Amino acid sequence: MDQVISILIVLVVLAVVIGLWYISTMNSLRRLEVKINEADSGIDVALTKRYDVLTKLVNTTKGYAKHEAETFENITKWRSGLPKNLSMEQKQEFMGKMDGVLSGINIAVEAYPELKADRVFQNLQQSISDVEEHLQAARRLYNANVSALNSRIVTFPTSIVANAISMKKKPFFEAEETKREDVEINF
Amino acid sequence: MNRIDEFAFAKRQSERKIIFGFLALVVGILLIISGTQIGFVFGIMLIVSAIVIFAMGGTQFSRLNKRFKKEVITSLLEEHVENGYFDPDRGLSPSEVYATEFIKRADRFHSEDYLSGSIGGVKFYSSDVKLEERHVQYTKNGTRTYYVTYFLGRVFIFDFNKSFDGYLYVLEKGRPLRRRKYDKIKLESVEFNKRFKTYSTNEHSAFYVLTPHFMESLLNLEQKNKGYIGFSFIENKLYIGINNFKDTFELKLFRKLDQSVIEEFKRELLVVTDIIEELNLNQNIFKKGE
Repeated sequence: MDQVISILIVLVVLAVVIGLWYISTMNSLRRLEVKINEADSGIDVALTKRYDVLTKLVNTTKGYAKHEAETFENITKWRSGLPKNLSMEQKQEFMGKMDGVLSGINIAVEAYPELKADRVFQNLQQSISDVEEHLQAARRLYNANVSALNSRIVTFPTSIVANAISMKKKPFFEAEETKREDVEINF
Repeated sequence: MNRIDEFAFAKRQSERKIIFGFLALVVGILLIISGTQIGFVFGIMLIVSAIVIFAMGGTQFSRLNKRFKKEVITSLLEEHVENGYFDPDRGLSPSEVYATEFIKRADRFHSEDYLSGSIGGVKFYSSDVKLEERHVQYTKNGTRTYYVTYFLGRVFIFDFNKSFDGYLYVLEKGRPLRRRKYDKIKLESVEFNKRFKTYSTNEHSAFYVLTPHFMESLLNLEQKNKGYIGFSFIENKLYIGINNFKDTFELKLFRKLDQSVIEEFKRELLVVTDIIEELNLNQNIFKKGE
């Protein structure tokens, strides 16, 4: 009888330990997920800011290089800014388009020296450098959190909990080849 | 005779006094322990004279040291720093040092060799800092109070060129001392995380300030400077504390005074330039309205 009670106690203790581990692991995975979502919205904020500054930059360019500015406007698919609930691939695509516009503007600057000398344009170029830095920071923060979550999801025994709560690996926010290095804008 | 030879000559004279004082002290002690009455009288006289000569040599050396560093550093400042100012007799105030938020409050505070100026438009302030902690030992004969040095090195304050929200600390040792809601941040660089602990009240700001290039630069600075190094980024200021147990800008007794000493002073002074250039603090492209 005593033996049965002992076994029962061991089983209960074991169940409680496993239960507590399960809950704490689940919570830590959820917390990481929340951090990823926060970082994701950080990317949205940075992308929107970049879009806004880029729009102003294109408008300033209009005064000097009308044809080029119109081309830049056509490149950006979402005229009204960054739509909500975009997938990571769509965000990357959006960012790629903005990169294209930005490099186009940089080329146009070389052809129009008056544009380069424009005070508003210069200020906007400074702003875009800062926005780029924020975007890179948001991207790196997001990827660092995704990396932490993904490595936990594939590692045993956390993988058991991840499977049980149907948590899937998250996609990274990849930088365009040209964006892998720090953005430099020539003044 | 050029200026450095004049200083070397004066230094040799003060050193001679110190040696002579020391020898007189030894002879005086020997005379006292010889046991003769005349030996005792001469011994006492010799010890008193030794102490006077020793003190004279020490004071002369200390004055020479101050004069030398004032002259050398002022001329180096004129060469390398805009609006350079050096004062060997004062240093950063306790509130400026504790504003780093990673250097703990001392029971005994001492700072000297105040340096300020601007390089490439970046303002800086720095000084040597010595911090001691009071210890009390209880013995059979009562209590003994003594002080242990836990920080001896330099503290720098720079204007920081990025505006961001929150507080950021990058520390080789210890943790932030002010109670703020900070988290420990893991960055992508394994080497950086191994070398430094990063704390911030805003994760995004940590990633914003600590770009891959900036992290590399902090690692380089850490490698170039012996001892423990800490960085804090607080309200557009970058605070750096280097605890290397080294008193900078000091002449050493019995060490030849020549051009190499000036070169060493120059190296110690140009740590400021090194920090500004390594960390690109002179690039103000991120600051709004500049």
